[in-house]
Amino acid sequence: MKDVLKLQKVSFSYREYNVPPVRKMVLENLNLTLVEGSKTLILAPPDSGKSTLSRLICGMVPKYLEGDLSGTCLMDGVEITSRQPWDLVESCVLVGQNPQEQLLMTTCEDELAFPLESLGMPAERMSRVVRNSLRKWKLLDFASISPQEMSGGERKRLLLAFLDTVPAPLWILDEPFDDLDSQWRETLMQRITDHNGTVLVLASRYIDEFRGSFDHYGILSEGAITIGDEQDIVIEYEQLCDREYTSVESCTEEHCGKALSCSNVSFLHPRKSVKDNAPFTLEVPSFTLRSEEIVSLVGPNGSGKSTFSRVLCGLDPPRAGEFLLDDQAVSRRDLSRTVGYLFQNPDYEIFLPSVREELAWSLSGDRSRTAAQKTALVAECAKLFHLELDATPSTMSYGKRKQLQAAVHYLLDRPFYILDELDSGITYATAFEMISLLRSRGAGILLITHDRSFSDRLSQRSYTISNGTVLEREGQV
Amino acid sequence: MEKTNVSSQKTALRIALVAVLTAVVVVFTLMVRVPTPLKGYISLCDVVIYFAAYLFGPWAAAIAGGLGTGLADLLGGYAQWAPLSFIIHGAQGLLVALIARAPISAGVRGDAPFIRMVMGGLLGVIVMAGGYYIAGGFLYGFEPALVEVPLNLLQAGVGMVLGIIVSKTVQKAYPPVRSLYW
Amino acid sequence: MTTNTFIAGKGFLYRFDPRAKLLLLVLLCAFVFLPVSMPGLWLVVAVVFLTTWSSTGFKQALHPLRSILPLLIIMVVFIPLTHRDSEVVLSISGFPLVTTGALENFNLLAARFIGITYMCTLFFWTTPMGDIMLTLRWYGLSHKAALVLTLAFRFIPFIADAFQMIQDSHSMREPNLGEKDRRRQPLADVVPTVTSALVFALKSIPQLAMSLEHRGFGRAGARSAYRRLAPRKGLFTHFFFSVMIPASLWLVFNTLG
Repeated sequence: MKDVLKLQKVSFSYREYNVPPVRKMVLENLNLTLVEGSKTLILAPPDSGKSTLSRLICGMVPKYLEGDLSGTCLMDGVEITSRQPWDLVESCVLVGQNPQEQLLMTTCEDELAFPLESLGMPAERMSRVVRNSLRKWKLLDFASISPQEMSGGERKRLLLAFLDTVPAPLWILDEPFDDLDSQWRETLMQRITDHNGTVLVLASRYIDEFRGSFDHYGILSEGAITIGDEQDIVIEYEQLCDREYTSVESCTEEHCGKALSCSNVSFLHPRKSVKDNAPFTLEVPSFTLRSEEIVSLVGPNGSGKSTFSRVLCGLDPPRAGEFLLDDQAVSRRDLSRTVGYLFQNPDYEIFLPSVREELAWSLSGDRSRTAAQKTALVAECAKLFHLELDATPSTMSYGKRKQLQAAVHYLLDRPFYILDELDSGITYATAFEMISLLRSRGAGILLITHDRSFSDRLSQRSYTISNGTVLEREGQV
Repeated sequence: MEKTNVSSQKTALRIALVAVLTAVVVVFTLMVRVPTPLKGYISLCDVVIYFAAYLFGPWAAAIAGGLGTGLADLLGGYAQWAPLSFIIHGAQGLLVALIARAPISAGVRGDAPFIRMVMGGLLGVIVMAGGYYIAGGFLYGFEPALVEVPLNLLQAGVGMVLGIIVSKTVQKAYPPVRSLYW
Repeated sequence: MTTNTFIAGKGFLYRFDPRAKLLLLVLLCAFVFLPVSMPGLWLVVAVVFLTTWSSTGFKQALHPLRSILPLLIIMVVFIPLTHRDSEVVLSISGFPLVTTGALENFNLLAARFIGITYMCTLFFWTTPMGDIMLTLRWYGLSHKAALVLTLAFRFIPFIADAFQMIQDSHSMREPNLGEKDRRRQPLADVVPTVTSALVFALKSIPQLAMSLEHRGFGRAGARSAYRRLAPRKGLFTHFFFSVMIPASLWLVFNTLG
């Protein structure tokens, strides 16, 4: 059997723009061999370099994200760095973690046709191939729809449809199971098993569908890959990432005994998918969030969770009803200063060139503290959230940016926080730590998530959204 | 393996750069606009044009500026202005960058000298306000077209000041911007 | 943010070949600047307006007029200040307010401006964006230039969303209840928001370039095309009309000897 991919002693570090440069190795002495036709699963914690690895294999790093690369990377016996990404179209296809990074066109069919146009495929054949792939991933109705209007799960399927479109034997799949419901997970697993080429799956969570489905299992950690028996790998990986949530008992400070509530509030939710024609109304018969509580709001993608959060933190007006803080009506403006909203994407909340300035800005409205007190507070906060004061936020890893976002809100010191999809892209351990810090002064927390196991571990109560109504879930732990 | 020259290696990055800057111009034109009686609105589009001119040079600024404002006019319901905006803002971006980045040879990363940024910027303000004055003169008379000259001067002037500031803050906030080149 | 200019409707303009339609648009825009008789000019403007009405409905057809109305009002306001030396029509206590020259001038400019506004708008309302792109390609726009346009359209809603979120998150950094409000500093508020939005956009550039090359952009061989303008019977006839309409209008209404 020939080796399709052979990485030997591969080390890589991104170019560091800070002065003085602190070199952090992303990959260090990494070895990986993929034999033709084999299926490999590599488990990797978030920010462990799995996206870098997948881009490296496709020839896009270090061409586009500058850095130092050493070692040998052979694909079909040829050094990858000696070839251009466009030469590899017929060798490998990458399904990236974030579909938004890979989508190019304004309709789904044009999207799928693009690589075939590059290959010079005649129009009639191209049209057959494109329609065929769309049918396989149940996207025919979306053929002339813009990917920008589709939901996360639908976009993921569009990206997966490339596997059936581009005739490449090697599949590199970076978190392909994210955003898919169980039915599509099974379909994808089946497609991987049936593929008569080579498959490399990189994932940060081990899910039931993986059991026994792959030929090789491994862990990517500290820049290197260890291959082993499935059972051992899974246990080792659990030890690496998981930690139980330890509740912080506190409430010595001012944020105790507050309650945010509303009854009979309704608001307009923009259509969740192109297939629904009109926006629909979401009803909230009764909702309460008290200090010190962790409450979760669980629901599938597009059910209106984020829309509810936007109303709850005062960004959007409700259509009817109002919110009460300790039984007093609160205006939208006051709501936005009572409830802190941590957007799912931390990049929306990064404004300034260094961690220090970003954190200090949170305190700029505070007249009760002296400049020296503020500086000390910023330094202390950075330490709590494992941040370097001089780092440049935009080039930090996703996990670090997420921690910076939490630190900013920690300094704002709101009595309530909404955490939108906090658990995606970071380890449970990091998420747990951020939550305990945020509620260490008694804040009430609303967790928005589609991951029921995450919410079950933490929350005391839980709301769900079904048929356009936000309801409290009965029979909680 | 075939030989590829440097220019073909850069093509994808150039296309990506111009396309994204164009989209930003459209968004800034349509999302931050103050309605005015004449040309419809004043907007923040000049900030992005100056930003592109100072950091990425004449071609990127001309294409993104012209295409972006032209598309914004189409989408915003001012189709008759699209070809004029394309030419005027295109010329604005081109000239600002030519003057501001003249000492920097093409395709090089680097910061334009401050004094040149101001000189090029002022020329850009004149080109933009003058261009719309002349175009307006032919379309609906030179006297009425005078009304919008101060508004255009204001829009382009604010654009220049913010453009200079933002071209510095972006380099600080996102150092890898220097690896993007035309 | 919507990136669509097409408005569904009925009428011959929807069946007109976009290539011929674009030529007609350009020729008609040129026609209004030629020396033509005023009744002729207004007739053309009226026909264009009626076509808009019949294609997209009366309410929709009023939209462009509403958007240029303030401008027309200003033109009226400026009438007293123009052509002060020609024959006086109306004067207030010896001050010449309206002259024939000013009226003629206003008449001409208003007809031209309304005409051009409706012609351009009508073209984009009746032609889907995809067809416009293919038309430009047919007229010789390079693949790379067309790709820039398509990518820009793909990124507009993406960046617009992000910009909205960035503004929202900025508005949520106000001090807590009970504390004093931060002093409003317009510049200090705008710069971080704009910077953040620009950084967000710039970060997507290398990713976009990577994706283009991963999808084979840059390969040496010739690209094939997934979309083409539907082959149409009578393309020649369409082009014939596009040339003949403005040409005969010119023959009928021109004011040259």
